[in-house]
This record gives sequence, structure tokens and C-alpha cells, in this order.
Amino acid sequence: MKDSAKELQPGTTAAFAGMHQWLQRGLIVCLVALVLEGALTFPLLAIWYGWPTLSLQQICSEFEKIRFNDESRECKYPYPLFAPAEGAGQTTAQDTWGIQPRPLYQRVEFRGLIHRRDARLARLAAAAAAGAGERAEQPAPAPARPVAAPQPPQN
Amino acid sequence: MTTNTMAAGAGAYDTHQQRSRAAQWRADKWMMVGVFFMGTAVLGLIGLPFFLRGLSLQMRAQKAGFTVRPIMVTLIGYLVAVDSALNSLGWALDLIGNHTLLARVFLMAWGNMFDGGYFWHYNELWIGGASAPGEKAWVVALLPLMFSMRIAAAIAFLQMKRWGQQWLVVTCWFGVIAWAGYVTNMTIFADVRYAGVVFPVVGWWLYDIFYITPFLAIPYLHTVNREIFSD
Repeated sequence: MKDSAKELQPGTTAAFAGMHQWLQRGLIVCLVALVLEGALTFPLLAIWYGWPTLSLQQICSEFEKIRFNDESRECKYPYPLFAPAEGAGQTTAQDTWGIQPRPLYQRVEFRGLIHRRDARLARLAAAAAAGAGERAEQPAPAPARPVAAPQPPQN
Repeated sequence: MTTNTMAAGAGAYDTHQQRSRAAQWRADKWMMVGVFFMGTAVLGLIGLPFFLRGLSLQMRAQKAGFTVRPIMVTLIGYLVAVDSALNSLGWALDLIGNHTLLARVFLMAWGNMFDGGYFWHYNELWIGGASAPGEKAWVVALLPLMFSMRIAAAIAFLQMKRWGQQWLVVTCWFGVIAWAGYVTNMTIFADVRYAGVVFPVVGWWLYDIFYITPFLAIPYLHTVNREIFSD
């Protein structure tokens, strides 16, 4: 105790030396943890949500589709500076409304946005193929008539 | 003879003070560079070795008998600065940069993983950003007020100024209010915050627990001998 009393930091009295030492340990743990967290958050989030298979803008689009439950939404980038907020006035998001609302979107699995996007593209391709098949069975539509310039009214 | 001794004593004192200040400044330069990078989040790993080098320089100077800042003051001052910088980064993105690609990818991803408040109906309010009940009020109260004041206090605290210590007490207690209010708000609107989230509740706590800086600083701030801080 005599030795540790000699090593007391300025401002630390003997009565609080033990507490200050524990606080110091806590501070070092927090500092190192914040640095590691800060450094790893961006790359690990990017990998979880599908980068580099998906570009950042594609990830942004998938988030928007999930958030507003609308597959037709795309992430506009760059977003016009003075435009209204991207979600303003939307009517498609799904929630159980009440005093404590509950969203109905589902948890995104590891790299789940890639599968989500692939599935949508496959659905769209299948729908397009089916549409093309139906068209092939129908008689060919009449060729579009050239658009004539409006005629002046004839009296 | 007496005069000479006093003159020699005063000279030695001045030299000691001068060399102490030089040693502290040398250590601070390393730590400031470190904290600059650590406050950016992504470049944190670049900053950490700089910071640790500065810290070891300061400890060495202390062992050599120089009058340098207590290690606790150094750690609290710089940790408060890093904590405030990281919080400010995220909340400035939400408050001002909410339509940037950075926010709409990384803030959304973070929200989707830990806190639905940063995903649910995001960018739907006229002001943009988080729409979760009460969240925007916390962002406005904490970012331009508490965290800005706390960074200013941390700088003065590192300079061993009395007002730095006092304002760190004030802003760290503000931090306790913030934690209590924020966590209660999240708990009451838990469905918004945690439904459909990848790592709900426990994930959020594991991620955010390291921001408890005020709880570590307050016991020190109230038990340190205040005479070491100058007016």
C-alpha cells in the first residue's frame, strides 16, 4: 500500500485509488472496442448485405423495396437536393398500426438481399417469357399507323 | 548566496516545467493524430497505434518525473472526444445527410441489423431521416447540443482547465439522462425498433454498451482532487 501510495496519479487520493484503477481499465476497454467497432462496422455490414456482388446503389434499392414494401421502387442517386423526402406520402409500407406500431417486413438473412434480387429478376424474366409466349399465340397486331399531323378543321 | 541558490532553484523549476510541457506536447501530438483517425470510424485502426504511442510516451515522461497530465484525465478526455465524434458522425448523417448513398446504405444496414429506428419508414418525415417515435427529438437534443458541448469540454479538460472539468461533469450527467431516456423510448416502442431486425436487443446492447463513457467518467470527475485543474 505504501508503494502504491507513492505511485498515485495527481488528483487521485488514496481513498479512491482502487476505484480510479478500475475506471481506467474500463476506459481502455471502451476505447479499444469503439475503435474496432468503428473500423469493422462498415466493411462487415457491406458484406452481410451483399457487397461486392451488389453495388451500394443496388443495396440501397433493395432496402427501399423492403422498407416500403414496393418492388417498383429504385434508389435514386444522386438524390435531387431540394426534392421532398424519398418516402414522403408513400402508401405501400406494411405495418400493424396501433399505439405501438409493428412493421411487417422480415429479417434479412446473411447475403439475403442477393437472393431477394435474383428471385425478383427471375420472376420478371418468367413473366416476360410467359407474356411473349401468349403474344406469339395471338395474331400479330396490326402495324401501327403513322401518326399524321393534325388536320385543320374543314368547314 | 541565498539569492544565487534561489535563482538556481527557480531556473531548475522553469527548466523542469518547460521540459514537462515539451514532453506532454510531444505525447499529445501522437494522441491527437490518433484520435483524429479514430473519430472517423472507418480509419480507426490507423489511428489506434498513433494513440497508443502517444499514451506510452506520456507514461514514460511521468515515470521520468516530468509533470504531465494524469493518465486518467488523458484517457477520459480523448475517449469522450472519440465517443462524441462517432455519435456525431452517425447522427449528422441522419439529420443532414439522410439522402446520401452513405446513409441509405450504411445507416439503413446498421438499422436493419441492430435498430429498426434507423430503417422503419426511414426518410418519410418532411425533414427526412429516422421516423421512429421520439427519435428525431433525441437526435436534435443530443447532436448539436450535448455532443458538441462535450467535445468542447473534453478539449478544455485535456488542457487541465477548471471549466473543462465542470462542463464535462455537466455534459456527462446529460449523457446519463440521454441513456435513460433513449433506452426507455426504445423499450416502449420496441416493435418499431426490433421487429424484423437481424440482431435485436442483445445485438444493440453489445454494439452500444461501449458508448457508456459518461458512466465511467462521472465517478472520476466527482472524486478527483479539483485543485489539479486551473482557472
